[in-house]
Amino acid sequence: MSGIDEGKLREWVERLREAREIRRKYANWEFIKSQPPKLRVALEYFVETGDFRTAAAMAEMGVDEFVDLARYRAGIPLVY
Amino acid sequence: MSANAVADASFLIDWVKYSRSKLLFKLFEVVFISESVLAELRSEKTLTWVAQGLEEGRLAVLPEFPDASREALQLVSRSRRLPVRAVDYPEAYCMVIGRELGYTVLTENGGALAVRDYDPAFAGVEVLRALDVLYRLWRLGHLESFKEGLKLYEHETKRLYTARDLAKYGDAL
Amino acid sequence: MEGVGAKLRWWVEYFEEAKKIRRKYANWEFIKSQPPKLRVALEYFIEVGDLYNAAKLAGMSMEEFNELRIRAGIPSVG
Repeated sequence: MSGIDEGKLREWVERLREAREIRRKYANWEFIKSQPPKLRVALEYFVETGDFRTAAAMAEMGVDEFVDLARYRAGIPLVY
Repeated sequence: MSANAVADASFLIDWVKYSRSKLLFKLFEVVFISESVLAELRSEKTLTWVAQGLEEGRLAVLPEFPDASREALQLVSRSRRLPVRAVDYPEAYCMVIGRELGYTVLTENGGALAVRDYDPAFAGVEVLRALDVLYRLWRLGHLESFKEGLKLYEHETKRLYTARDLAKYGDAL
Repeated sequence: MEGVGAKLRWWVEYFEEAKKIRRKYANWEFIKSQPPKLRVALEYFIEVGDLYNAAKLAGMSMEEFNELRIRAGIPSVG
């Protein structure tokens, strides 16, 4: 892939890794673990990856509905 | 006020939670929302905000252009081959539109933000997060304090900006 | 200029009238019973009379949304 800025790429890998640490740290794990399987898996996936779109699909919710649940009830901060 | 912007879901679902969301229209004439982004929205609050914006003529729906759509798919495919989070179709479409039409892209999505940095094809696209929008609003005198404005935004949306994100605005914070 | 101003005023009144008619005939019970996405789209349609954007809000084709607004008792006016 020509022209890709490798330095910036590495920087972003690091940023996204940090973001995951932040989500893991602040998430309300008690709440997450008490959810029915589909939602629990979606929330756990979201904590790990920050990928709200796939997580919302897993939970069979709209992206906005899912993110609201994640941020306000599961305590997961939105970082990237 | 600059011309137009195109907003994706990640930006919108936060911004509509912000009590001073109308300030967005101090920066942009019209904010476009692509059909693919609109299709993702289901909550009443977000949709009502969009409906009001459409009514007031400050928001507009951006249709799917086949060429832009094709290129967006290529961007998605390219980004999936890289070790960093891939960009999804709705964001990719916004990036292509941003470049082709000169619209500012409004996003919080890490995949899209990263593309702007590492992919030379999109180096010229202006990409703003709410953090950047708030900063500009403050510089234009629409917010009394950037620091307080940001704190309120983070509190209302639970969006968290890291030290790295804030570093570029060090002087103002 | 005077001509343009008068024409504009005519159209503004025209659209105001149309909105009143849509509001009057709408079946609000039906509308309020719809899920958020459809409810917001129907309310938007009543206010603005704009089928294109209302359909987009609802995530439907214009034809499908047209069926919905008929079921909601909303006349297409203006």
